[in-house]
Amino acid sequence: MAKPAIWTVSLVTLICAFVLVPIGAAQSAPPKSVDDIKIDKWNSVPLHGSAYAGLKSAPAPRRDLSGIWDATGDRTNIPPPGIQPTGAFEHRAVLPGNENPPGGEPDERNIPNPLPYTPLGEKMLEANKPTGLGVRSVPAVQGNDPVEFCNPPGFPRMDLNEFRTIEIVQTADHVLVLNQFFRTWRTIWTDGRELPKDPELSWNGYSVGKWVDDYTLVVQTVGMRDDTWVDNQGRPHSSDLKVEERFHRADHDHLDLTVTIDDPKMYTKPWLALNKFPLKLQPRGFDIRELYCSPSDFADYNKDIGDPIADAPEK
Amino acid sequence: MRLKLWPTLLLMLGFLGGSRPLLAHHGNASYDTSKTIEVSGVVTEYRWANPHVYLRVDAKDESGGTAHWVFEGQNAVTQASAGWTKDMFKPGDKVMIEATPAKNGRLIGRFKGRIVINGQEFKPLG
Repeated sequence: MAKPAIWTVSLVTLICAFVLVPIGAAQSAPPKSVDDIKIDKWNSVPLHGSAYAGLKSAPAPRRDLSGIWDATGDRTNIPPPGIQPTGAFEHRAVLPGNENPPGGEPDERNIPNPLPYTPLGEKMLEANKPTGLGVRSVPAVQGNDPVEFCNPPGFPRMDLNEFRTIEIVQTADHVLVLNQFFRTWRTIWTDGRELPKDPELSWNGYSVGKWVDDYTLVVQTVGMRDDTWVDNQGRPHSSDLKVEERFHRADHDHLDLTVTIDDPKMYTKPWLALNKFPLKLQPRGFDIRELYCSPSDFADYNKDIGDPIADAPEK
Repeated sequence: MRLKLWPTLLLMLGFLGGSRPLLAHHGNASYDTSKTIEVSGVVTEYRWANPHVYLRVDAKDESGGTAHWVFEGQNAVTQASAGWTKDMFKPGDKVMIEATPAKNGRLIGRFKGRIVINGQEFKPLG
């Protein structure tokens, strides 16, 4: 009686081993490429760091930045790195050991990595009153962040605040950077033209790009109007600002971005706002969710929450 | 039960809000980040919207009446990255929300930690 039972068990086990082990292996095998990783077709959610576990990235293609790149990165950090709620990532307006400062400070002298402001730079910084997070943040009713009126963030703020998912499209003579925040874009001319000498100032400025090697595109931008903030902490800039970006394709799935701010009117020397900031390739077919600033949406929100929460206590 | 005056006052104050920025983006300044509250009640409205996703919950107050709470999260992009969807709450759902309360005593909170929907713990992504 025992013999048939043992045989049955052994047979079942053997069958299971042949069927289930391969299935199990397939489920836990690392992806062969980013395009193998499953995402929602519409309003895709950027991949968490763990999705890439074990992925062996192919070498970088030559002179090619195209793809959908995400700056929100591994979500063990809250908020994700690209959001930069306390200012440009390399110079966060936080306190040593406290990434979530209470705000209300008059200046940035106590932050771990202070900026080299000129006297004019200090004065302009003081005039800009950020809300939200950061050492100098003030209550919403006292703030004057132009983005809070749905003014465009402009450049370089779109690299240094709410940097979420971008799409880079390359054509024969220009590169397009399409930004999720405000659903806006920039054109980087790669046709060899010189930067304009005395341009009309604009929100995003005027950009030219040159490949310095097969994997690094260096972009210079000038002509930005001076009523935008460099980041969400109100770092100032004049219309003399020059911004350099270095887009470096590290391998097939990784792009890093270095941003240098050069404005002698506001800062005594150029400074790095981003330093090899990592961007991760998203799978083919990634659909970037809309993120607009809508005055009517904000009016609704303020009626329901924004105004009541800013009011004085009732008693 | 006495008619409460504060809802009327709140409405009046709302009309005075014309000079405020469009986006009253309050960080920690408006919330008491040292406290955590737990509110249990029934969902009356769920707005999957920008600039903030938010949820209205009717809870019982101390005197046995109804406390009309509203809880806000981040924008839809951020919430979606945390695994939220536009359908995860429905009017009539029984919920428990862990939140950071407003400093000024209004029935406003910011989602902080646990969310239980009809007895099921919601597990955020990542």
